Amino acid sequence: MGMMPPDAVTSRVTPIEAVRRVSLPANQAADDASYWADQMRAVATRRDVDCFMHIYDHYAPRLQRYLLGLHVPATQAEELVQEALLRLWRRADQFDATRASLATWLFRVARNLYIDAVRGEPHWMPIQDGLDRLDHESTQQDATSTESYTDHAGLSRAIDALPAQQARLIRMSYFEAKSHSEIARELGMPLGSVKSNLRRAFAKLQVGLRQAR
Amino acid sequence: MKPHHHLDAATLVGYSAGALPAAFSAVVSAHLSVCAACREQRLDADSIGGHLLRQQEGAALSASSRQAMLARLADEPAPFVTTAAGKQHRPDALPEPLWPYFGETYSTLRWRLIGPGVHHIRALGVHDGHLMLLRVAPGRSLPMHSHGGNELTMILQGAYDDSLGHFAPGDVADLDCDVEHQPITSAGLPCVCVAATDAPLRFSGWLARRLQPLFKL
Repeated sequence: MGMMPPDAVTSRVTPIEAVRRVSLPANQAADDASYWADQMRAVATRRDVDCFMHIYDHYAPRLQRYLLGLHVPATQAEELVQEALLRLWRRADQFDATRASLATWLFRVARNLYIDAVRGEPHWMPIQDGLDRLDHESTQQDATSTESYTDHAGLSRAIDALPAQQARLIRMSYFEAKSHSEIARELGMPLGSVKSNLRRAFAKLQVGLRQAR
Repeated sequence: MKPHHHLDAATLVGYSAGALPAAFSAVVSAHLSVCAACREQRLDADSIGGHLLRQQEGAALSASSRQAMLARLADEPAPFVTTAAGKQHRPDALPEPLWPYFGETYSTLRWRLIGPGVHHIRALGVHDGHLMLLRVAPGRSLPMHSHGGNELTMILQGAYDDSLGHFAPGDVADLDCDVEHQPITSAGLPCVCVAATDAPLRFSGWLARRLQPLFKL
């Protein structure tokens, strides 16, 4: 599939340089993690600004939406989005497509920046860097690990199949960063039910993740 | 150190979503630093976050933001390769994620006696939940307590047993509010653990009156 978005079948004869400059129609190719992994490789190896801006055009508005959802003021959210993408530019060589998709990688960076800058937890970021380092080391030791997170069709199906209540708890966690206790208060649910429902939802989504391959 | 008691999936989801109170995040990070299995689970939880991000409709950015991004790229120096020097394992060292809260080594901890055989250090600067180290002499029973909220404990040294099993270094007890438990520390070494709570512990035993004020309850 190379550098080509999966939907660009008809343009397969177009020289690759030209294709890269074409901005993708909304919501197309977005789900193809290997396509974005290729863009990342171009950024890491060639410092390719066009590929980088292509990632920016696609993901910056999504990161902005994520941060606005967490009640970050728009101006600060834009600064954090830029900061997140700047980190991507600086650390592109550390991106490992067999470990996480580009979307997952950006989610982590944006969440870390949110916890650092908005929630004001100064220790979070260095601690996350330390844990990522451990992950990196154990991946290198474990050369047989071929697990890849490049296809999310199974996860998509699993999310769609969640019962409404569980889907709501997942969204309140990820999109509103609400703690279990806050969710319990807001929905008038016992804390134990919040946790057991999240546990069940997570188990189903993990099955979806594994089915994707 | 290969832990046998792991984090609750709900706790990991909260951690990954950035939704856990800071005190709990600290204990989760400490466990993750010694537990490859839970780090894998964390990756799954992050993948869910990434997937939700991917599925989202974008929000409009201001007109100048694209130009600003390009300008910032132009200002960037050549990338440096980060060489992460692996920290050597020292037997006296606390898990690295706890360093900002308690310092790096056990030998430099300044314990305060709070009851017969029980010492305590409260982490400062944690505004979201309570984070503390506890050291309990060997062969002692801790007062029976239950929780108004959550409690997350990781064993650092020594061990204890309660109705949920045997807990040794690296293990976490990730407890719901309805659990009432009474840990008994193993013979030999004092049991040192790090604990996060989001609501008052409710002691029903003999230490209650002495412990309550120290937990600011």
